[in-house]
Amino acid sequence: MPTPEPKVLVNEVSVTFESRGRSVVALDRISLQARAGEFLCIVGPSGSGKSTLLRVLAGLHRQSAGEVRIQADHPGTPLTAMVFQEHALLPWRTVRDNVTFGLENRGVGRAEREARTREMLAMVGLARFAQHYPHQLSGGMKQRVGIARALANDPEVLLMDEPLAALDAQTRTIMQEELLRIWATLGKTVVYVTHSLEEALLLGDRIVLLTARPGRVSQVYPVDLGRPRGLEVRASPAYGALLETIWSQLREEVVRAMAADRGPESDGLGA
Amino acid sequence: MAIASPIAFLVLWEWASATGLLRAVFFPRPSTIIAHLRDLVLDGTLWHHAATTLSRIGWSFSLAAVLGVAIGLAMGLWRRLREGLDPVFAVIYPIPSVLFLPLVSFLVPAGEIALVVTTAVTSFFLIAFTTTHGVRQIDRLVVEAATHYGARGWRLFAAVLLPGALPFIFTGLRLGLGFSLIVVVAVEIVSASRGLGALLWLSWQVLKVEDMYATFFVIALLGALLSYGLAALRARLLTWVPDVGER
Repeated sequence: MPTPEPKVLVNEVSVTFESRGRSVVALDRISLQARAGEFLCIVGPSGSGKSTLLRVLAGLHRQSAGEVRIQADHPGTPLTAMVFQEHALLPWRTVRDNVTFGLENRGVGRAEREARTREMLAMVGLARFAQHYPHQLSGGMKQRVGIARALANDPEVLLMDEPLAALDAQTRTIMQEELLRIWATLGKTVVYVTHSLEEALLLGDRIVLLTARPGRVSQVYPVDLGRPRGLEVRASPAYGALLETIWSQLREEVVRAMAADRGPESDGLGA
Repeated sequence: MAIASPIAFLVLWEWASATGLLRAVFFPRPSTIIAHLRDLVLDGTLWHHAATTLSRIGWSFSLAAVLGVAIGLAMGLWRRLREGLDPVFAVIYPIPSVLFLPLVSFLVPAGEIALVVTTAVTSFFLIAFTTTHGVRQIDRLVVEAATHYGARGWRLFAAVLLPGALPFIFTGLRLGLGFSLIVVVAVEIVSASRGLGALLWLSWQVLKVEDMYATFFVIALLGALLSYGLAALRARLLTWVPDVGER
């Protein structure tokens, strides 16, 4: 591979689950990499193991084979921080205390903790809601907290598992723009899982398309739509052409996934 | 309505007893009962018995709460322990607690200690059950996220598992406190010469029906006060629970 050492290196990673005495291959020799500061989107049909791949990167699940390397440029900060699809905030902690949670666990001093928390809450536009509890917030606001919580830890790589999937269409659009703004400000390396091709085209530098189970890398598409990118990109001919190209490939995989998988579908998590 | 309905009930009762619709021997007029209640308060009898009952509830509820929460948490955290204890609990729990009195008396000195331990049995099970369930119902994704953000060991327990189980622990405590009162009165009726249960039973046996009703009223009031006290504590501690926070 060309260029210097990649920020994220996934090399021949396989994941096999044991399910009712049978082993199911969720990921089959996946290899991919992300450059420092890159926004990498992973797209694939349900059951392609997108979330499983992210969980392996987060250290929440051990791969059965292969290696994962994340380059640590800032010692003392965590390698990854994950934004979960269902936000997964601690209901008994206020917004502020949720954001500060990871820093607390790592023993970061109080003054620094408070400064970082305030900064991140301001960045996601929730400074006024610091003392609220999660149940008092809307879905979009909860996910902003989830993003602030991840960013407060200043991770080497930000992992996002369909973070906007549970939101309504308008909120999702606004959050996509917010994400672009935050990413442009912080320059983080992002690995972003989504089932929405439109979202991947709006956000990503490159799109990794996974096959139906077992998940393999089908294709990697560079998204040459320029930066900074906004919603108006959807009107450009290049956008339409790329969407068309990737969709024809994704469509095949989706059809294959539906045919192979008549039973209850799962993404390796049983949900 | 909360105040109007009991008053209407008492007025109806007063009228029914005064006109002879109810036999005053068994259903004395509320005004008479209140007069007796005042006498019981003034001559110190009531305080003497109530203090005894309260102290028994205090001891047995504390015993049940400490053991119930500790064992409930342990059962929630360790599957092995849960699977081992579940069948034992399933057999012992449904036995009416008063029946433990003779059994407990073989194990610990009969008298005050046996009474307190017997009273604690049912409350202990209720608190242990709800606490176990409280730990088990915590969203696994939340625990996973907390682990991902570096919460391990003691920190995971104190910042995630314990607060996550707390609403259920409170439900258990509230049920347990109610049952402490029920059982302590029952045990006092059976085997004590002091306490509200003993006073109630004695009043009935010598047909001091007014005193019996007065004691009855005090027991009910005590139950309500204990329950509301714990509810107020819950509202202070669990501000993050939707039904508390919205008020």
